[in-house]
Amino acid sequence: MARAKSNPADMTLGERWALRGPERQLLLWALVAIGLGYLMLLGALPKDNIAVHLPELAPFVLYMAAFATAHAVLSMAGFRGDMMLLPVTALLCGVGLMAQVRMGVLDGPSRSLLDLLMLPAGLLLLLGVTLAGMRGRYRLLAGGASRRRALWFWALASLGLLALLLVTGQRFRGAVYGFGFLTPTELLKLTVVIYLAVFIDASMKALGRWRRPLPPLRTLRPLLIVWVLLCGMLLLQRDLGMVLILNLVLLVMLGLGTRHVGWWLYGGTAAVAAGGLLLGVFSHGQRRIEAWLSPFQDPTGAGWQVLQGLSGMYSGGLWGEGFSEGRPRYTPIAESDFIYAVIAEELGFFGSALLLLLFLILIARLYTIAARARTPFGMLLATGIATVFATQTLLNVGGVTKAIPLTGLTLPFISHGGSSLLTAFVSLGLVLAVSDGEPPKARGQGQRAKAGNASAAAPRRRGNSGSGSRGKRAPVGLGEARGRGSASGRRG
Amino acid sequence: MDLLNDLFRSAPWSALRTGLHIAFVVSILYLLKQMLQLRALAGMRHLAKPKPWLGPVVIVLGLAFAAILAYQASWQLGGTSRPRFIAFMQLHDRRQFNPAHWIHRGRILDHRGEVLAASREVGGNVRRIYPDGPVFAHAVGYAHPRYGTAGIERIANVQLNGGLPDSLGDWGELGRHLLTQDKRIRGQDLTLTLDADLQRLAVERLSAAGNGRGAVVMLRPADGALRVLASTPAFDPNRIDGSLFAGADPGTPLLNRATQGQYPPGSTFKVVMAAQAVEAGFSGLIDCPADGYTTSSRYRPIRDHEYYSAQRAGRSWRGHGRLDLATALAKSSNVFFAQLGVYYGHDALDASARRFLFNRDVTIADSLSGRLTMQTGRLPDIPERDRYGLAQASIGQGKVLTTPAHMALIMAAVGNGGVAMKPLLIAGDTPEPLGRMMSAATAARLVHMLRRVVTEGTGHGIDTPGIAIAGKTGTAENPFGDSHSWFIGLAPAHRPALAVAVLVEQGGYGSQTAAPIARDLFAAAAERGMLQ
Repeated sequence: MARAKSNPADMTLGERWALRGPERQLLLWALVAIGLGYLMLLGALPKDNIAVHLPELAPFVLYMAAFATAHAVLSMAGFRGDMMLLPVTALLCGVGLMAQVRMGVLDGPSRSLLDLLMLPAGLLLLLGVTLAGMRGRYRLLAGGASRRRALWFWALASLGLLALLLVTGQRFRGAVYGFGFLTPTELLKLTVVIYLAVFIDASMKALGRWRRPLPPLRTLRPLLIVWVLLCGMLLLQRDLGMVLILNLVLLVMLGLGTRHVGWWLYGGTAAVAAGGLLLGVFSHGQRRIEAWLSPFQDPTGAGWQVLQGLSGMYSGGLWGEGFSEGRPRYTPIAESDFIYAVIAEELGFFGSALLLLLFLILIARLYTIAARARTPFGMLLATGIATVFATQTLLNVGGVTKAIPLTGLTLPFISHGGSSLLTAFVSLGLVLAVSDGEPPKARGQGQRAKAGNASAAAPRRRGNSGSGSRGKRAPVGLGEARGRGSASGRRG
Repeated sequence: MDLLNDLFRSAPWSALRTGLHIAFVVSILYLLKQMLQLRALAGMRHLAKPKPWLGPVVIVLGLAFAAILAYQASWQLGGTSRPRFIAFMQLHDRRQFNPAHWIHRGRILDHRGEVLAASREVGGNVRRIYPDGPVFAHAVGYAHPRYGTAGIERIANVQLNGGLPDSLGDWGELGRHLLTQDKRIRGQDLTLTLDADLQRLAVERLSAAGNGRGAVVMLRPADGALRVLASTPAFDPNRIDGSLFAGADPGTPLLNRATQGQYPPGSTFKVVMAAQAVEAGFSGLIDCPADGYTTSSRYRPIRDHEYYSAQRAGRSWRGHGRLDLATALAKSSNVFFAQLGVYYGHDALDASARRFLFNRDVTIADSLSGRLTMQTGRLPDIPERDRYGLAQASIGQGKVLTTPAHMALIMAAVGNGGVAMKPLLIAGDTPEPLGRMMSAATAARLVHMLRRVVTEGTGHGIDTPGIAIAGKTGTAENPFGDSHSWFIGLAPAHRPALAVAVLVEQGGYGSQTAAPIARDLFAAAAERGMLQ
């Protein structure tokens, strides 16, 4: 194979195209697989005496077009980031598409133009974010030179969003919705993660320095204030699921970001204590726990949903009923919360295991990008986003299978829900941007760049004062703005 | 589009559809394989080397997913081992093809293989059929989607549903069942120790005697295997409805009189007193006047039944005179045993109560789903001052109560050299000794004495050539009406193979009603070669 040019800006269109060959291959197979499944799905309709018309193909055509376009644009832009995320996402979205069509959400009378366009809109957002953030431009989220401004911005954005929701929101089935059935709390998953990433990046050294066996609370203080306000407002809205996710993200970002074992210990105990307190205070939580531990006490009331889901799974068995039986749905709220139960019923244990494997691949890939990010800010951002996905998936699937109590969280990409899908795509776009790495060296600094590459691009170590003590530090990938590196005294 | 529609409606579409399902799965698997291969190719060299925490994080994630999948499998694939789940689905789930609706529960069989309970598909449903109706109702129980389970159906619920594979063959069957998505789960059969013919005979005779209420318990002394566990009146498990469970009528068919019915034992308790005396080395004579015996002039004298029958016939009776233990037992003399009991005192009676396992609940069969128990008799502590109470208890009246199952257990101990074996209902359960009620020598002497009861005493009405029956009749006075009719016995006396206790509520004299039932049961058993 010809020596790959390190700067995609130098590549011709053809070379850029070839660069993303593996992604193209995987994506093609994904689309073929989903196509087969979609055909299977359509074939079930005549059983209900519904003839298949052209509009029935629309969701699939839009889906195919959206992903193909995304791939094409990324290739042409010379994107050199991760190649597995897009195909895995295509598979997951495809399964979600099949599930939603099976539910009758995307065809028939309940279909609206908005639902159909959600997926293409999501991919558009993904493209936008990736293209805007690649070549290291995602660091602008951290505010560039002015960290403080960025911190304030993101903190206020999160709190403001919540305040707005508190004032204008309506409660429906335990969750609070904004205008027009959107769930702006989904955006919190993004803004809070970015805020945390900026914060920890800014005070990385201080957070890693524990003088006594106590966390550096002074450094944490601004974060704690924001956090208390955030969780307080969320608890007012009884959104326990979101509180769970955000706290887990905080714990993981602190733990992995600073790599200080103390965060894990303190975080773990704090979580248990807080969990106990919350359960004690909120009868809502206690009811959930009871329904989880002994669903047979109240099988037609509190335990109904989970037991129906399990009954469906039992009916499905190992291989599933197949997407082809035109049966009405017996599992309540199947479109969003319990979609996993439906998939386990229709595709069997085998199918649901495959689905979980796909999720595992997606999340593992996100963590891999995080672990290999060039900047600590990128690492933190990707870690936070990966943890959000991981927590959501684990909590949803765990609740549906009764391994843990229900938390009301939905499965990313598969559950029906516009805001959730769009936020997921934006998050994915950010991680893709991180995976693109730093802007490539301009021609003149090619020598130093190669030498830097050869020394296996060690990530900047924490606590390094000055620049020399650790030997040759690889300056590869530093943009113009960095210049000499430590002049601004930033450690991050 | 029409092409597509025609394809969907065409005949081979269902085969094609299965093919599509397979192709769908295969293509995803192929994609996964591709991902593994391309992982190396798609490595992003412009990024840094992965931080060391990546490995542990991915492992933790993988373990979390695996744990959830394992738990899911315990419901999705192993649902038959969760009886409450199966019950929920049978009652509440409307999915037509839920395997829970199509479970062919294992059959329940008697010890010869006759079917006592089976599942049949009736009109698109699977129903539980009990061919003998009320005959085995209390032992076998019922399994009803709305009213739950009882009896052996409850104890062996998981096994009957096929959720307890205990041999390689069973596991293989379960695996095959999962892989082929066979909707009709077959459970495992269960064999009981009961004998269908004997039980049917017992129920038939009980229903025709006295007021139709009573119980028969027959078991094998050597290992405790229950051959008959009958109680009338009984309900029909084929026709259960809510009215069965309403109300608290003492005549309810739900009550298992054999194991839970506490009755005054009457003269059958003299077996316990005789054992107590023999163990203590009694070898004398006691004077039994016609006037009877009492501990204080305030209380009515305890008299023998000959006194009352002579009185009714207008004759007078001389009394038994001086009797030894064996003759007193044969003639069932109340006067003798009342004095005997008072002679040995309260402590001796307490000790006997403990040895004979009074005031206990004995488990006959149990599992994680439930437990079948029998009550033994109730003999409370009689205060030292109450000598009349002691006298009454010694003749099986007053404060002492027993269940038919307990009396059968006592008889079985006599026939087993003094060791009482735990009654077993499920064939294959390990025999277990409950305790030693008397020494082997005492037991041997007692069998001898009990044989004399049948050859010369109150039981001579049922003495049959060819079957050496040994036993004791009982006529228990009670405040509700006619006396209860008891008979407890062993056969054949020289080598006891079966022990029985028959109780007919308000059946009159023991020799009149209960004893013939016992003899007929023994005769039927002899015909089937069970007295070898």
